[in-house]
Amino acid sequence: MIRFEKVTKRYPGPGRPALDQVTLDIDKGEFVYLVGTSGSGKSTALRLVLRELRPTTGRVYVAGKEINRMAGWKVPRLRRQIGTVFQDFRLLPNKTVAENVAFAQQVIGKSRREIAKVVPETLELVGLKDKGDRMPDELSGGEQQRVAIARAFVNRPMILIADEPTGNLDPATSVGIMNLLGDINQTGTTVVMATHDHGIVDQFTKRVIELDHGKVVRDEASGSYGFQH
Amino acid sequence: MQLRYVFTELRTGLRRNLSMHLAVILTLFVSLSLAGIGILVQREATVARDSLGDELKILVNLCTDDDPSHSPNCASGEVTADQQQRIEKEIEDSDEVASFTFQSKQEGYERAYEQAKRSNTQAAFEGPDPVVTVERWPAAYWVTLKTPERADGIISALEGLDGVSVIKDQRKALGQIFGIMTVLKYGSWIGAGFLLFAALLQVTNTIRLAALARRREIAIMRLVGASTLYIALPFLLEALVAAIVGVALAAGVLAAFQHWGVEQALSDHVEFLPWVDWNDYLQALFGLFPPGIVLLGPALTLIPTLLLTRKYVKV
Repeated sequence: MIRFEKVTKRYPGPGRPALDQVTLDIDKGEFVYLVGTSGSGKSTALRLVLRELRPTTGRVYVAGKEINRMAGWKVPRLRRQIGTVFQDFRLLPNKTVAENVAFAQQVIGKSRREIAKVVPETLELVGLKDKGDRMPDELSGGEQQRVAIARAFVNRPMILIADEPTGNLDPATSVGIMNLLGDINQTGTTVVMATHDHGIVDQFTKRVIELDHGKVVRDEASGSYGFQH
Repeated sequence: MQLRYVFTELRTGLRRNLSMHLAVILTLFVSLSLAGIGILVQREATVARDSLGDELKILVNLCTDDDPSHSPNCASGEVTADQQQRIEKEIEDSDEVASFTFQSKQEGYERAYEQAKRSNTQAAFEGPDPVVTVERWPAAYWVTLKTPERADGIISALEGLDGVSVIKDQRKALGQIFGIMTVLKYGSWIGAGFLLFAALLQVTNTIRLAALARRREIAIMRLVGASTLYIALPFLLEALVAAIVGVALAAGVLAAFQHWGVEQALSDHVEFLPWVDWNDYLQALFGLFPPGIVLLGPALTLIPTLLLTRKYVKV
């Protein structure tokens, strides 16, 4: 589903590359933690998958397509197959919960009828069935992250990318979010989650890919967080 | 594509950036009005030149039977072929003349009739026994001078020739009129140019501010896979709305100028000149060259918007 072939990403300026000859393969339906210290290259790897960045050398494949050579006008189509969740939720404060979720469908031109059907279903899936009319600032952090996950999942993407999704949440709430991501993974969606949360990684055992100074230093099918930061 | 969403965004955008949009509309309105007046003045110069000849030209009317000038040159009545040949040779040989054309009685009559119809004074040409007829209309030579300053030689040479009825030397009067028109035309175009440039800068600023205000939405739209066109559409529509309002206001001002300024005031006071009409007004609105304000307004707002949104909204 996601494949990096000797990918190096070098930002302008001196210093070592953010990613250095990284090769990895993530299959369809996998749940993968991307761990490593700050600056290890986790976010760069995720941005390469989203084609927000292009590798300096090497190739990135998503769903069988080499995306670094993809024409600009095809990028939106690629992103429709990828849902994204961030540590800071990134919800639109002037829209209700339902509107935030519907937004992801509106901008890709889904019909009103389809939106009216799919949005409540997705809100139910993330456990916010009765909170569609609330504004984001009326919700707790965990609930806001659920809205963000609903928005990321509403178009039923093949891949869900989560960048520190539990970073702003207390441990109990984080467990709820992890359960939700696990449920989404169960539907066949590939989940790639960058995290610093060793409690979560150790508790919900999945494949772990550890990056250090831009290199893959560990790739375990059923790993633990494995280092102290 | 969800048009409802696009129009909601458009409404929000217009409201959010109201003062900037008003500034763009006002600047566009004034600059397009000036540009339109510039076009009308240019059309007026063309209309005047077509009927009166430009300041480089003199008109040599040849004698008709029973010539109204009662010039001694016309003692023998209608100009003869020999007389006309001598006149033509004199014009040909003059070093003050750049070129000349012969205008037959029929051509001259038709031209005058058209002109009269334009200024609504065609009564003399019509009816069962019209005052003006093809027979009574003089054939003429239109003589184009090399420079407007030098015409004395050719005028004095022709004045004494048999068959020459009247020489109309309109250099002074027309020179002044065309001078004023040129100043007006370039004045309004230069003014319009500065203001259009200001409008362009304002459009740029408006888009920059709008992109800043919407950066969160734009970031999310990009992430969920909205196309560049979809993201840019509210910006383009905002620019289009500003352009449409600006163009509509300018078209109103130009219509008022045409109605009260040209038709009610100028054409009443300055009767000897034919004036621009509603066709010329439409030309100022929809013309291609120079571009009318209906083209100019949207182009000035949409092109920078397209370029800037590509920069700010890049996927």
